[in-house]
Amino acid sequence: MRGSFPFRAAKVSLRGGTPPARSPWRGGGWPAAGIGLLLLFPLSSPDAFLLDVFTTGFLLAAFAASWDVVGGVSGQITLGHALPFGVAAYACALLTTLAGWPLPLAVAAAVLLAAAAGLGIGALSAPLAGPFVALLTLALGEIAHEAAVGHTFFSGPGGYAWGGEGGIPVALPWRDAAPFPSYYAALAFLCLASFGMLRFSRSGAGLILRAVEGSPITALASGVPVARFKRMAFAVGSAFAGAAGAGFVVHVGRATATDLSLELSFQAATFAAVGGRGTIVGPVVAALVLHVLFRALSLPPSARVLLYALTLLVVLRFFPGGVAGTARDLASRRAGKEGGRPPRPGGRNRNGDEAP
Amino acid sequence: MTALLSAEGVVKSFGPTRVLAGIALSIAPGEPVGLFGPNGSGKTTLVNILSGLLLPDAGAVRFEGREITRLPLDARYRMGIARTFQIPHPYPALSVREAVGVALAAGAGNRTGEGGDREEGEGPEEDLLARTGLFNQRFVPCARLSQGCLRRLEFARALACRPKLLILDEIFSALSAADEGDLTALLRAENRDGGTAFLLVSHNPPLLKSLCRRILVLEEGRIVRERAVL
Repeated sequence: MRGSFPFRAAKVSLRGGTPPARSPWRGGGWPAAGIGLLLLFPLSSPDAFLLDVFTTGFLLAAFAASWDVVGGVSGQITLGHALPFGVAAYACALLTTLAGWPLPLAVAAAVLLAAAAGLGIGALSAPLAGPFVALLTLALGEIAHEAAVGHTFFSGPGGYAWGGEGGIPVALPWRDAAPFPSYYAALAFLCLASFGMLRFSRSGAGLILRAVEGSPITALASGVPVARFKRMAFAVGSAFAGAAGAGFVVHVGRATATDLSLELSFQAATFAAVGGRGTIVGPVVAALVLHVLFRALSLPPSARVLLYALTLLVVLRFFPGGVAGTARDLASRRAGKEGGRPPRPGGRNRNGDEAP
Repeated sequence: MTALLSAEGVVKSFGPTRVLAGIALSIAPGEPVGLFGPNGSGKTTLVNILSGLLLPDAGAVRFEGREITRLPLDARYRMGIARTFQIPHPYPALSVREAVGVALAAGAGNRTGEGGDREEGEGPEEDLLARTGLFNQRFVPCARLSQGCLRRLEFARALACRPKLLILDEIFSALSAADEGDLTALLRAENRDGGTAFLLVSHNPPLLKSLCRRILVLEEGRIVRERAVL
């Protein structure tokens, strides 16, 4: 089978390529401490507003991490990542309200639809590179946004008209979601989704995506079907974005055109740039911190957008690797790596040099 | 005997400039062939067409009797045609071991029965890196490699698919004597022991004479001479 790409083999043969520097994000200590604090936070009797800020923050953090799968790990800078998020949100609303599907089935279908949308975007953008990917995804996202703003759905002859600016409600099996269960459900979703995305980014497929990001031509010359892996990145990232979108719409109870907006796509890209592209955990932390900080300050939306833009400018100028990238560089310098892991004492040095 | 790689009537133009004007060549299995020519004679364009990076305007390329003219670079690699670049394009964020691992993953189907004297936890990556003299640099990010090590990495990447044909574009240019000696020995061993054919592009006639059985001379997009090396 010389002609086909043995994808399964990659998972086995690529393990163990860990660089010697220990990144603070690689250990489980920091994330575990953060999750512990978030688990205990509701016990401090916060008000419902703050719990809501955190709940939406968890869902946005998962969304930012899903952007990182596409834009960070595989380097396909997308400015239309709200599209799979919004597709899932609208699918959830339409399937429960108009088609009468049970919520779990609607959520599953919404996630699949988002993945399919990602696959389509990936197929269109695979032959493109760099800014053209950003332009294409921006255009696709805006088309979806305008369609959502302009389209009206009817519940039947003489029935309700939904859609447009007002959006579409979701038929939920409960009347009013209690803040505490919503908070913990969103936190559990964030942990599971982040774990899944981290596993993916550190798998054989993730390594090949990082190779594609680093040098597509060398990846091609190494036998990697680059277009297929780009489509895969879009599909996987969009599936997680769709899951976040479904969770979001279940939390707020209504799908609106804002779920497909450029502002949301831009927000995800900002979170990833600030946290550190390609690290998954960095964008999660950045999304949580920035969202909670800016919402807790009760800033108007226009001021929040300005602050996001300023934060992005400062980070790109002074910390191009984001917080996680800068921390990793500092750790590498501290470790003083001078040419990689030294040969084991007494062990054989296969370059033919003497081991110390 | 069926040629391993053959090209017939290959023509390529960039705008009004005709770079290749009807190239015909043939490489037998296990044959070491050199390609020599002045700057601008079309060597790299020919290499790009033979390896699948460029499509010719006319003509055909065949590998083991099968037409592969429109087959892309990655598919040709998986068939056993590996190429190196005159200017390496390393993966900046990946370690040397990871970079070789990516290529090994693509060619994994061709490496059954490999073993050697591996230590526990070592894989085919280590074997390949030891052979190319990169074992001690295996955890170094590719972005931090010297020019010599980058050429070694190119070689390791090309060897990862157990190629039947290596297309080496100026792999020996701007190398130290030690690096050149190591890579020359490695190429000879691959050709002698592994039966790997190669097309070596170089500006260095003594080097071509020492490594190749036949040298093709390219001038203004045509093969003007073919010399057998005794």
